[in-house]
Amino acid sequence: MSQRTERRGIHVDQSDLLCKKGCGYYGNAAWQGLCSKCWREEYQRVRQKQIQDDWALAEKLQREEEAAYASSHGAQTQSHPQSSAPQPHPGHASMGPFSKFEEKKTNEKTRKVTTVKKFFSPSSRTAPKKETQEGKTPSPSISRHASFETDQVTKDFVDFLKNLQKPGREIHKQCRAFIVNMSSKKDLSADELSECVQDFYQNMADRLMSHFKGSSESVEQVMDQVEKYIMTRLYKSVFCPETTDDEKKDLATQKRIRALHWVTIQMLCVSMDEEIPEVSENVVKAITDVIEMDSKRVPRDKLRCITSCSKHIFSAIRITKNEPASADDFLPALIYIVLKANPPRLQSNIQYITRFCNPSRLMTGEDGYYFTNLCCAAAFIEKLDAQSLNLSPEEFERYMSGQASPRFNSSEVDWSQTGPAPPVTNPVLAQLNHNLELLSGLSSRQETLMEAAQSLQADLLSWPEGVQREVNNILEKYPLEILPREVSAIDANNMDNDNLPPPLTPQVFAG
Amino acid sequence: MSAMRVDAKVVMLGKESVGKTSLVERYVHHRFLVGPYQNTIGAAFVAKPIQVGEKVITLGIWDTAGSERYEAMSRIYYRGARAAIVCYDLTDSSSFQRARFWVKELQNCEEHCKIYLCGTKNDLVEADRSVRQIDYHDAQDFAEEIGAQHFETSSKTGINVDELFQKIAEDYNSTAFQYMTAEETGVDLGLKKDSYFYSCCHNN
Repeated sequence: MSQRTERRGIHVDQSDLLCKKGCGYYGNAAWQGLCSKCWREEYQRVRQKQIQDDWALAEKLQREEEAAYASSHGAQTQSHPQSSAPQPHPGHASMGPFSKFEEKKTNEKTRKVTTVKKFFSPSSRTAPKKETQEGKTPSPSISRHASFETDQVTKDFVDFLKNLQKPGREIHKQCRAFIVNMSSKKDLSADELSECVQDFYQNMADRLMSHFKGSSESVEQVMDQVEKYIMTRLYKSVFCPETTDDEKKDLATQKRIRALHWVTIQMLCVSMDEEIPEVSENVVKAITDVIEMDSKRVPRDKLRCITSCSKHIFSAIRITKNEPASADDFLPALIYIVLKANPPRLQSNIQYITRFCNPSRLMTGEDGYYFTNLCCAAAFIEKLDAQSLNLSPEEFERYMSGQASPRFNSSEVDWSQTGPAPPVTNPVLAQLNHNLELLSGLSSRQETLMEAAQSLQADLLSWPEGVQREVNNILEKYPLEILPREVSAIDANNMDNDNLPPPLTPQVFAG
Repeated sequence: MSAMRVDAKVVMLGKESVGKTSLVERYVHHRFLVGPYQNTIGAAFVAKPIQVGEKVITLGIWDTAGSERYEAMSRIYYRGARAAIVCYDLTDSSSFQRARFWVKELQNCEEHCKIYLCGTKNDLVEADRSVRQIDYHDAQDFAEEIGAQHFETSSKTGINVDELFQKIAEDYNSTAFQYMTAEETGVDLGLKKDSYFYSCCHNN
């Protein structure tokens, strides 16, 4: 540290600032002395490797477990690999004409897989190609066929950039160019696509940083908009792409969660008491939020759903325990919520966020924390076994095969524990009873309403009669008397007035 | 919603009930949990700004679940962390074994993560020396061996808690220092920007 302090203000040798890899660009201490490009390569590789390792481990564990399961149960329920296998990669066929891009690929594994796939599906080459092309026109005017949602995003983006004037136009130009560019790279692997997007973020952030003179707040604001615009546009082509096995993983996870339907809140040691109405309300909201994640397009919005879900879980725990929740409470609760919700395309969403989210947010901030917990929950569910639920392997097997249901036992225990006073322990039954009460209340209110309506009808019927009666009464009291009227003949008074000319007498004209 | 910008990720590791959450709680809210508290929602993630010299460093403090059933996933947690507080209970020797495990994991997987070894519940040891199971010098030797900082803290009395987090922020600041000096000398880092912007993506 002292060494570095000395350096302050003293001339720094140019070579100290250059990228350690010797590519000629300037390095940066925050990137271990590499330039942004080398750093990205380095960092991306390490990160991807870690992710792959994690998944590989999870997969291995699951395979082992499945193998154990299969050996003890024979071929009883082993049909699932077929259901997800048949149609996974028609998109590979369309790679043929773009073979020049293949040379760019550094990922040996993907390449091998691709060639093998191509070899096996020569007949299906034309059909899927048409399909992919009508969806995503590779012409520069891709913006034309955008849906309403993307139009709206474009409009918002342009409006936002107008405030920035000249640099705004530049940003827009870069983004458009990038999107057009990306649309011609559909045949790249997901990791390479991710790298492109992340590179773009990095470069854009660097540029903005120098433009705003280091005001990280403004930079982040613009970056949020950029991310929103780009990812809404690219969503269809990069979410759960055909080049990956994301879809297969989604199906596997979904199946796995369904098979674990019997896991109870007690087994996970979750400190949430769903009998408290406020808690169950929060649980429902948390479930809704985590399901809603799939409907969002922008990685940031997806993260927001996770954060909101987590906040509801924290409220639920706090209400139950009367003290702030720690991570020891939170993770099991999140696992429970994920098991209950079975969120659609969970793995795809996790992968999508990992690949295309602005990394500064993902790695350190609050959203990143909750996202990491979600990844953990997903990993835990995948490799969940008897030990992690404090069950004996035999019990676990029985529950997995559906021969026994722990729910039954546990509710019996609850019955004996709670005694006769609260007759219902199952939250579903409680809900049901509650609904029945509501319904009966509703029907009694409806009866009252009907009565009121009938009395109103009776009133209405008797009303004209009453009015008639009153009118008659008044008529009787004040009968109609017609007073004799003195009619005076106007002409009678001036009968003998001579001044008047004589009346005209008819004259006869004889023809 | 999470408007606070976070500079460095700090992850708390340690066996269940060694007092990770209490440590964070003590540091952030200056209190020790003895009864029910209603005013915070959760203490699992905290963003805490710390004054270091003229700068403010915001630490994002990540609490982790200590239970062994989640051990396999701990790597997901400390990925990208700049500092890790590995906690052990001064009155529980098994917790120190677990701390050793995490130190090894960290050294293998996160070489850029600084390790801070932290013995908790110092107040118990102060009150009654016989409950101490981890000798100060043993822990100190271990810390030196792995190149870690070593603290003995008490969330109840607050001893060494602020010092621990202050040290983390200072260490982070000094590693980020090189970058700062480079900017101050006035070398134009933006000179070559144009040449590599889009160098890999903009080729049509």
